[in-house]
Amino acid sequence: MLQLLVAGLTVGSGYALVALGIHIVLRATRIINFAQGEFTIVGGLIALTFVQVFHVDTWVALAGATIVGFGLGLAFERLVLRPAARSGEMALTIATIGMVSILLYGHALVPGWGSLPQPLPAFTGDVSDALDLHGVSIQIQSLWVLALLFLALAVLYVFFDRTYYGKAIRAAANNPAGARLIGIDVTNARSVSVGLAIALAAYGGTIIGPITLVGGAGGVVIAIKGFVAAIVGGLESPAGCVLGGLLIGVIEKTIQGLPGVSYGISDPIVYALLLLALLIRPQGLIGARSAVRD
Amino acid sequence: MIARLRGDARTLPVLAAVVIAFGIAAAWNPTFAQAGTYAAIYAIAAIGLSLLMGNVNQISIGQAGFFGIGAYAVAYGTTTWSLPQSAAWPLAVLLGIAAAALAGLAVGFIALRFRGHYLAVATLAFGLICVGIFHESPILGGAIGIQDVPYPQFGALTISGYPAYWFAWIVAGLAALASLNLLRGRTGRAFEAIRNDELAADVLGIPTRRYKILAFTYAGALAGLAGAIYASFLGIVVPDAVSVQLSITLLLMVVLGGSGSVSGALIGAAVLGVLDISGHQFENWREVAYGVLVIAVVIAAPGGLFGLLRRPARATAVPVPPTAPVAAQPLAVRAIIPSGDAPPLAVNGVTKHFGGLIAVNDVSFALERGTLTSLIGPNGAGKTTLFNAISGVGTLSGGRITLAGTDVTGWQPHRIAALGVGRTFQNARLFGEMTVLENVIAGSFRSERTSFAADLLALPSARRASREATERAHATLARLELEALSDTLARDLAFGDRRRVELARAIAADPWLLLVDEPAAGLNASERATLQRDLLALRDDGVTLLLIEHDMRLVMSISERVMVLKFGTMIADGPPERVRNDAGVVAAYLGTSA
Repeated sequence: MLQLLVAGLTVGSGYALVALGIHIVLRATRIINFAQGEFTIVGGLIALTFVQVFHVDTWVALAGATIVGFGLGLAFERLVLRPAARSGEMALTIATIGMVSILLYGHALVPGWGSLPQPLPAFTGDVSDALDLHGVSIQIQSLWVLALLFLALAVLYVFFDRTYYGKAIRAAANNPAGARLIGIDVTNARSVSVGLAIALAAYGGTIIGPITLVGGAGGVVIAIKGFVAAIVGGLESPAGCVLGGLLIGVIEKTIQGLPGVSYGISDPIVYALLLLALLIRPQGLIGARSAVRD
Repeated sequence: MIARLRGDARTLPVLAAVVIAFGIAAAWNPTFAQAGTYAAIYAIAAIGLSLLMGNVNQISIGQAGFFGIGAYAVAYGTTTWSLPQSAAWPLAVLLGIAAAALAGLAVGFIALRFRGHYLAVATLAFGLICVGIFHESPILGGAIGIQDVPYPQFGALTISGYPAYWFAWIVAGLAALASLNLLRGRTGRAFEAIRNDELAADVLGIPTRRYKILAFTYAGALAGLAGAIYASFLGIVVPDAVSVQLSITLLLMVVLGGSGSVSGALIGAAVLGVLDISGHQFENWREVAYGVLVIAVVIAAPGGLFGLLRRPARATAVPVPPTAPVAAQPLAVRAIIPSGDAPPLAVNGVTKHFGGLIAVNDVSFALERGTLTSLIGPNGAGKTTLFNAISGVGTLSGGRITLAGTDVTGWQPHRIAALGVGRTFQNARLFGEMTVLENVIAGSFRSERTSFAADLLALPSARRASREATERAHATLARLELEALSDTLARDLAFGDRRRVELARAIAADPWLLLVDEPAAGLNASERATLQRDLLALRDDGVTLLLIEHDMRLVMSISERVMVLKFGTMIADGPPERVRNDAGVVAAYLGTSA
């Protein structure tokens, strides 16, 4: 039972970070970035490149992937989102869907990445290393994933809540016109927001990499589970996104752990859960009713 | 016909010629014929999606799910039913279309609860659920799908290979014609009105929710039809073929061609179909190119390829000679109020809170038939909120509203409108991308009698209904002396004309109760005189009018009764002379030291 819980929290951490990324982009641009999951996949692959080409350990690769992710995010905002925004919200959403196609099929074309998932070295020791807790074995990597998730949350919290720059970005997202009036560079704030979101995607793709492998065609699945997480938890609330992510991870692992349940059926159940969540509580577990139509 | 559709109708014959020319050329090249067949199949699904995206502004990233339902229905039916193929095939196709339409209906119902981005996510989830179910269902063959699906058969004739090209394009052509019929009819006018201004459409009696669900259902049915034909000619259906990538490809076709038009969907599907011929040896690159293309199109040409071909709508405002005010003449509004003695409007203890703010506080009054009553009060007094309450916009916090004896408390705006209640807005909410004539035709939506099926097949009844609506609209415009503006786009109108066109739109449906919100604001003296004439003429036609107005001279000269709201409470109610001298009213307007 505890084992399922930890396994669930581990995959859930990935979903939580995707959900958070979606949340940040949503706040900055008012649209959903459908490519968030693909950026997560690409982020893990960038870490893999650091490991393979520069022969650094996974910690350095994590830092490297996060920084490169930030740069990718800036480029994504400048080259795709900003020009598309002029054609309206629908066009902007469609542009992110176009990005899904580019990243999903494009990453297989990069030398060294390929279309099949590959293992990323563990943060410490071996991936299979486990703690024995009264007969329950817990993967050490899982503990790292959780610790790194909370590290990211702490950093984000401090940035958005305790620094002037972070507050300016939130102001720009909440009320662009008002923020402009008091001298905040809204365009720049948007750009940094998207950069942060994609950096977060790369970070997330790397921390779960040793357990889930990196690369492959799973980006859409990760993205949709990130949405499920964000929507179940509350798209407008960062805490809700994290809670939703962990919850979805645990639910998924629990369904897969039930006797007599086919492994493949857990995904459709999770998606159906999304529709149900949308129907019953569109504002999420944590969140204002603003998400609902009047 | 909606102005935007004229180009669409003109382009279709050109596209048909291209399809025929390509078909003849492809007789010598099986690869071309096959690519052309798939282009036709995708075009069918793309037409439905184009309608959904361009006309009701809804994105779907789940069309592959409906496509899959159609495909699996045919694959399953034709391989398991113990029927001859010439009977099993049509049955299975119908089943596939019906099941996909039903799924579209369900998705529409669910989707309508959400705003834009939630909706896109919900459709994506739907697509993934479908793939998951196909994948996990043993009777559908699981991961390996259903193989050896037989070709369609009509008597002794089996259709496959080269003839499949013609068969698929005939189906696509019929789907295109039916969709164009739909857009040209009453259904299309409703879509267009909703796309322009949902609230205004609602208070004209257009059931906006129902039409959005209809768009989802129709798009689902067409995707199902496309899937059914796909399975018939490919001979095999696997879950991976109806994955998210197919949804994205369909979306791309629509965006590339130009959403909202039938021709755009056909162009998009054809272009990608041709790209597909060369794309097979460039696996992955092809999809990357699709992605780059879609981003480039939304940035550089949001109207798609069809949008580039089409000349932009002329935006010329025709100057109207100023008309001297003339004596009141009947506007020939047939204000047929339900018989009985009940007042046209009775408001009973109506209260509306916004959080802690009380916008309307326990207001009660009843109007007499054929009278003109004005509702005045300082800004923020709750006048427009009261109008919203009467026309069903938002929910009441308390009280009841009765229209000619019918309790309409809690009704949706379109049902209230359908009773015979018209309304104009403080900021003149016209359908900007439609011409003046089209705006007024949309106004008579609820008196048009035609069905969805009649629209789809362009039956004589639908054409007659369209013609009658157009004639009525011309007559209404003529009576208001707006005929010269008929073909001007509403967004190009001068402010005073916008108001008058809105009034024309509101009376096109022959309302017996008309709520007019600040009609004189921003009008010049001669326009005010015309307005006064028109309002009195309406009253003489038997229409009961309730007017919100700040122009006291107008209010005092035309009203039989004046009601005054202050901070949501009715502080005076009576004939103009009495209200004018009421101490409380004077204090409310000028302030007092008491």
